[in-house]
Amino acid sequence: MNNRGGTATNALEPPGEIRPRRRRVGKVTTAIATAAVISGTSLGTSGVASASTVHLTWWTMWSGATLQLLNQMTAQFNKTHPGIVVTETNIPSDATTSTAKLLSAIAAGDPPDIFTEWWPEIGSFAADGDLISMNQFLTGAYAGFEKWEYPVAVQGGSYKGNLYAVPMGLNSWALYYNKGYLAKYGITSPPKTLAQLDADQAKMWVIQNGKVVQLGFYPDLNGNGFQFYTTFFNATNCFNSAGKYDFENCAGAKAEMNWIASFDKYPYTQVMALQTALGFVAGGQTDVWVNGKAGFVLSGPWEGTQNVPTSNPSLVGDFGVEAFPGTVPIPSTLGQGNFNIIPKGSAHPQQAFEFISWLAGYQNEAFMGKIDPLGGWVPGGPSVTKQPAYQAWLKTNPWLSGFLPEMTSPYTQAPALTPTQAELFTAENTATNDVLQKIMTPAQALKYIDQQANASS
Amino acid sequence: MAVATTSLSPTHRARSSQHLSRSVERRRTRAGLLFVSPWVIGFLAFFAYPFFATIYYSFTNFNGVGAAHLAGFTNYVNLFHDPLFRTSLFNTFYYTAIELPLSTVAALGLALLLNMNVRGRAIYRTIFYIPSIVPLVASCMIFVWIFNPEFGIVNDLLTDAHLPGPGWFFSIAWSKPSFILLGLWGLGQPMVIYLAGLQGVPREMYEVGALDGAGPWQRLRFITIPMISPVILFNVILQLVNCIAYFTQAQVIEGADIGGPGTSTWFYVQYLYEQAFDFLKFGYSSAMAFFLFVISAVIMVVLFKSSSKWVYYASEQP
Repeated sequence: MNNRGGTATNALEPPGEIRPRRRRVGKVTTAIATAAVISGTSLGTSGVASASTVHLTWWTMWSGATLQLLNQMTAQFNKTHPGIVVTETNIPSDATTSTAKLLSAIAAGDPPDIFTEWWPEIGSFAADGDLISMNQFLTGAYAGFEKWEYPVAVQGGSYKGNLYAVPMGLNSWALYYNKGYLAKYGITSPPKTLAQLDADQAKMWVIQNGKVVQLGFYPDLNGNGFQFYTTFFNATNCFNSAGKYDFENCAGAKAEMNWIASFDKYPYTQVMALQTALGFVAGGQTDVWVNGKAGFVLSGPWEGTQNVPTSNPSLVGDFGVEAFPGTVPIPSTLGQGNFNIIPKGSAHPQQAFEFISWLAGYQNEAFMGKIDPLGGWVPGGPSVTKQPAYQAWLKTNPWLSGFLPEMTSPYTQAPALTPTQAELFTAENTATNDVLQKIMTPAQALKYIDQQANASS
Repeated sequence: MAVATTSLSPTHRARSSQHLSRSVERRRTRAGLLFVSPWVIGFLAFFAYPFFATIYYSFTNFNGVGAAHLAGFTNYVNLFHDPLFRTSLFNTFYYTAIELPLSTVAALGLALLLNMNVRGRAIYRTIFYIPSIVPLVASCMIFVWIFNPEFGIVNDLLTDAHLPGPGWFFSIAWSKPSFILLGLWGLGQPMVIYLAGLQGVPREMYEVGALDGAGPWQRLRFITIPMISPVILFNVILQLVNCIAYFTQAQVIEGADIGGPGTSTWFYVQYLYEQAFDFLKFGYSSAMAFFLFVISAVIMVVLFKSSSKWVYYASEQP
């Protein structure tokens, strides 16, 4: 099952580099052994065993419940892979800070073997040669790995034909609706088209004395900017013939930005204030929709599996999920997630890849079939969803099944990895906010996105 | 040994004494250098090297890892074609231009009040100092709540007074003033320094002033302020540095909407940080850092030059 062993490791460590040091190493070993005998200590059996064990370091950036899951995964891997010991290190900080730490570690020549990265930075890392391509490991038992993954996972982790990143869990986005709201406003079924969504949500806004008391839908809710809706408008990857971002001349992008602009009739300041008050900005698991103050929201499985039961149990059983409508046929979704990468300078890249593919669920479907539901994750490959534990989870929460057909939809896209994806992401957020506040027109916003995203590409 | 010494000529004795004193001097120099070496090493490693490295990288397209390739003045030219660079510079100067005089006057005014001989003075001093020891991030979160346009206590009070409550941090017009108000929350530190300065003003000067018929305003204008002017200069420099390097509060409060609403709260160092650690443009951010250094240096030179006109040092008087 596992393609590891002495051969692969030796291939990465040319013997010529080791031999000249042997005499000095021998002297040092003799000295240490003598000192150990004199001091009455011994190296013991564990010390001898550790010489043939590969130690991997894995940096992640989560805390709380997610960290506990990662610990479980690490423990299981260590248990089932006697020759490899993974040590998981939590870097409790935001994505920007953890990226800075990774860069420092690479520059210092001591990076972790595996790093979990939020995808906007991966294109830049890959373009700068900071990552190890995983293509070299896609042989033998791993030859079919890319076919095993969801196509969108491969698309989101590849740069110029090389696989640089593998998700251990994918995000899938859909429209959550509050059943109570639908009944209250005489809406018999959840919206299937954009026009229906616009009409239904408009009935739900309540503004009293200038304060937003409840709302129907708002594009910027939970920080969902332009980028998160692009697949519903076929606007995820808008490039011109020169390979530059070209949202300004992209029909889908125009339609999407115009749709976002149609919400500028609602008071941005009050909506953001409501959102902050209900905990989103403070990093809490609550948001306007979970608190029962919004009819609809675009979110992922974690909203229903974690946020609702934790923050507003009264909503359990009173909500549903539908594919988000757009100008392309439903279902579709934005394929992105938390990707594992192997930084340049990793001491054991082959074992690191083995661990990464295991985390994705490759040849580990049964275990990840149990773990993915606990995290509210969509796995890296469809075969995990067929596992009994995963199926049981779907049966208990039938609304979750709305997230899976999207993953194989031909309309589902992942943003192409580029060196300026972080700039694109930031610009898309700024443009969304500015359009909603009427600071920019939709055309100006798209031009702004192109300018920022192409600035140094 | 003694015989040999007595047999030396005066010239030899002088040379020997000279040699001895040089040897002592060398030993003392070595000891002195050894004592200051921790500071010198720290200075070279953590200030001089990063400083010159920043200047070097500002002329490259360095991405944080690997080799840096020389790019000439490209980064500096790009700075002036970057609208967000200009915006962040403007926002930072706007904040500095209002926050600096406002906090100086407020802290000094508070110190003057707390220097008066009133009952419970120590309690008042403690109350006004406490906010400055609250962790910065906690202060920010509290402020977001207090100034929340929907549920905040400030807007509730304004509504009770039949006044419209602004959008504070969520409004383009009010976002920068909101940060300025947040800056006033941490006045405790300069206030304590002013208080220490006020305690050092000789009581006799006020007595002489009173005998000459000086009223409270004249005593403040002609005795207090000149006497504590070195303290004012010190506090102004500290506040100025804090304003120019404004970062943490904006980063915490803006959350996912960095620089927002709109671009109204993009501060210079925030933008520099984003260029470096989000976009991995270390060359460009180094150019921004060096540009900020030049601006800061110019302001400091002007401030110190002007200080000879308004700062009074008693020790320098004949």
